[in-house]
Amino acid sequence: MAKEVGMDRLGDFYTGGKVRKRREWRGFRDTMYDYWRWLHIMGTLAGFIIKPRNIKAMFRYRWMANYLAVPMMVDRHTQGLRDEYLRICHLEQDLVIEDVAKLLDNLFRGDRRIGNDKEFSKKVVLVDENEMTAVLMGFPTVKGLSRETPSTYVSVLLNQHAAEHYIDVAQEFGLAGDVCPMPEAEAGVSIDDDAPVLGACAIQCNTTCDGSLMGNGVISKRLELEDGIPCFQLAAPLRHREDDVQEYAAQEVRNAIAFIEEHTGEKWDWDYYFECAKRVNISTRYRMDWLDMNKTDYPQVFGSNLALYTETNYMAICGKIPAFVETDRKIMKLAQQAYKAKRKMAKEYRHRAIVWGVQSHFYMDFLLWILNCWGIVPLTDMLSMVSTKMLCEENTPEGREQAIYDIAWLTENMIMRNRTHGGYKVLLDELWDFVEEFNADMVILWEHMSCKALDGMHGMFEEKAREKGIHLVWVTHDLFDPRITSRQGVRDQVNRYMRSVLQEEPLDPTLEIIDDEHSW
Amino acid sequence: MKDLKHLYYFERLLEDAHNDLVRQAQGEGKLCIAYTCENVPEPLLNLGGTFSARLRAPRTGSMEMGTYYMTSFLCEYSRALLERAIEGGFNFADCIITPDGCSMMNRCVENMELLKTMDKEKFFYEYMEVPMKADDNGLNLYVLQCKNHILKPLSQHYGIDTSDAAIRKAVEEHNRVCRLIRAIGEYRKGEKPTITGYEYHIITMATYAAPKYLIIDKLEQTLEELKTRQPDARSPFRARVVLVGSEMDDVDVVKLIEDSGAYVCADRYCYGSFPGRDPIVLTDDEDALTQICRQYMYRGQCPRFMNQAKIQQRRSYVAGLAKEYGADGIIYEQVKFCDPWAYEKMVGSHVLREDFGYPVLSVDRPYSIGVSGQLRTRVQAFVESIEIKKLQGGAKNG
Repeated sequence: MAKEVGMDRLGDFYTGGKVRKRREWRGFRDTMYDYWRWLHIMGTLAGFIIKPRNIKAMFRYRWMANYLAVPMMVDRHTQGLRDEYLRICHLEQDLVIEDVAKLLDNLFRGDRRIGNDKEFSKKVVLVDENEMTAVLMGFPTVKGLSRETPSTYVSVLLNQHAAEHYIDVAQEFGLAGDVCPMPEAEAGVSIDDDAPVLGACAIQCNTTCDGSLMGNGVISKRLELEDGIPCFQLAAPLRHREDDVQEYAAQEVRNAIAFIEEHTGEKWDWDYYFECAKRVNISTRYRMDWLDMNKTDYPQVFGSNLALYTETNYMAICGKIPAFVETDRKIMKLAQQAYKAKRKMAKEYRHRAIVWGVQSHFYMDFLLWILNCWGIVPLTDMLSMVSTKMLCEENTPEGREQAIYDIAWLTENMIMRNRTHGGYKVLLDELWDFVEEFNADMVILWEHMSCKALDGMHGMFEEKAREKGIHLVWVTHDLFDPRITSRQGVRDQVNRYMRSVLQEEPLDPTLEIIDDEHSW
Repeated sequence: MKDLKHLYYFERLLEDAHNDLVRQAQGEGKLCIAYTCENVPEPLLNLGGTFSARLRAPRTGSMEMGTYYMTSFLCEYSRALLERAIEGGFNFADCIITPDGCSMMNRCVENMELLKTMDKEKFFYEYMEVPMKADDNGLNLYVLQCKNHILKPLSQHYGIDTSDAAIRKAVEEHNRVCRLIRAIGEYRKGEKPTITGYEYHIITMATYAAPKYLIIDKLEQTLEELKTRQPDARSPFRARVVLVGSEMDDVDVVKLIEDSGAYVCADRYCYGSFPGRDPIVLTDDEDALTQICRQYMYRGQCPRFMNQAKIQQRRSYVAGLAKEYGADGIIYEQVKFCDPWAYEKMVGSHVLREDFGYPVLSVDRPYSIGVSGQLRTRVQAFVESIEIKKLQGGAKNG
């Protein structure tokens, strides 16, 4: 029990059960702050669950049980944090939680099986989990809702075992077991008919990979052919850096907007679009500032929270919710304060690492673990290295034309696919540029075993790392399925490298082996 | 049945990517345009002075180097190609043109480029974006990509004539081969077919692996031979199946299926004859390139086409083939680790069974199958189940 950073034996908190032994003591001030934020989260959950329709949904949808684990998820992401870091984490996590609570509430409001608010449903456009919502930036009265985000994506963040049932459903239906478990689980939800049914239409996108593209076909089969919800498939070019695909991408955006107008009866509002575009640019500038700070000896906004927050803000929000810009500002203020005070997140920083590849979704707090256990600073990660292009903000005829290309660019450059597709330069070459820019001596390379686009560069990553003298630590996992590689299996890969190659001892030995196989 | 006169010749051609006809054409000064995906319009690779060769890795053994560079999670086709490229097996090619058809094939070719596996001085790689939906916007993209990544580079690097007239001439030759393959395929329709699915597979594959103009005479002679070929008095087959799925280089797959009692009466897999050997119909009121792209896009059965209309059309296309060729059942196959066909096989199997009433067998397989007891057992059991269904009064009785 200690106020100082790094003085706790964090591994001792694990009990082998679903939750940890007790809350962390962080000194009076930080403990009270953390407790207050915990109460705030409980308040958000209570506000959600007092609505009868949401209680009904708890019993209708299998995946809803995972939301009991929300406080535990936040606790996992705040392990060992003090001062500004604790506050930054809560700002990020709490806002994401509020956003997901609103998403769930809206889904059940329109759901034909639960709230069945038909008028509301007429203004809902369903979107994929891994889809940029930029195409909705000009529709102030349309609600873009993703069903896969709460049913699978967030569920796995909350409970590492959440997707297993749906993966099994898809495989029992005949899907090969070697595909990416994310679209596989999403398809499983659809096969199981375990997603809310609502909306005037849906915009699907060939999001991250072949698996996502194909999984959408399973989902649209139920949506279009059984639920009668028209779907538009927005085909974002894969070679997104090439000039000769941009006109195609722009026309897809124009067609998608026309489709939404047709099915919702709403009109594209340019004033609202440029308002959102300004907010996207503000968030982008903040993100760039944080990354610049991370290039110094005192990085401040980094780790799994950065990835999760960026993913939400960049992809799901796209400037549509002003609260995110306000939170960006608060994070920046805290980060500058901590930077001036030369604050560190752990007691010792031994290695500066770029985290690359597709993160293990069932173990998003792993980045905090490498810091607390081994003193490896995850300076930035692949999911946070998204577009930094400034969107046009001028509401003129030329500005509007440019805006269509900007939306297309964002859609092409959604998280993950902006690196896993578009040629080897964006995945391979740019990694080494970042290594240099961030002055990193190590790359933690997530090898999501079913991610073919990533696996396909395995040997070249190794060769380049050897050539440049960078420590390359492979961390293999199967994204949504801890039965293939457990959390400890993930950790063991780092443990082995640190002990056998670098011959180092952990900062906190209690974290080296943790009994968290059954933990949320 | 008596052996087809040229079957051994066709089989020999398939034993090596750098086969005798490729050597002959290059000896005549023609350039070899290698490609790796059916979504690259073939006639554009067969302009005056060039010929196309689909990259294959026959007689693949070890794939250790391919596996090192791309892990064991990528499909064996892509790994086998990379292995062969590293070994220098594709050094005969003058360029590679590949679309981002699937991630694995894209990475395979990128690795070839990064590892500098091709040693010809003017060799180049071109990566194309091909449409994922069949519509006007997709057509515009397809045409532009073909211009920028096939025609312009061929013209700039090798001075190839890429004019409309040259393209039309290439289509003529292409159509000649397509019509011959179609005509040969017609002999699979009868109750007592005079060509086996294996023989047809070999002949069709040879048209992708060898310069077309050098193979036409053998195709014509084979067609002539089929006109008088007598079927066996007693057919060794107990059921007729349509074979659907991902690309199939391995000649042993169809052989194994037929040895197990299932006659492959129609082929709906990448580089098969449906729709790959559909002739291209050209009119004079529009440029040839646009017409080629349009026909490739609308007839394409690739699972990466993502709009629901196209998805539905893929399944009714298979049902249509089954009906036309009198199939008793359908075999969906995928090369292991192939994402697009993993999903297509899953849903297609259900749709063909539940909506169209066909018995369906769903299997995955390695790139090079050799002799697989597992697959043989599954096909034999499938054939028996079809026979039992027939005895019991058809699919409607379960």
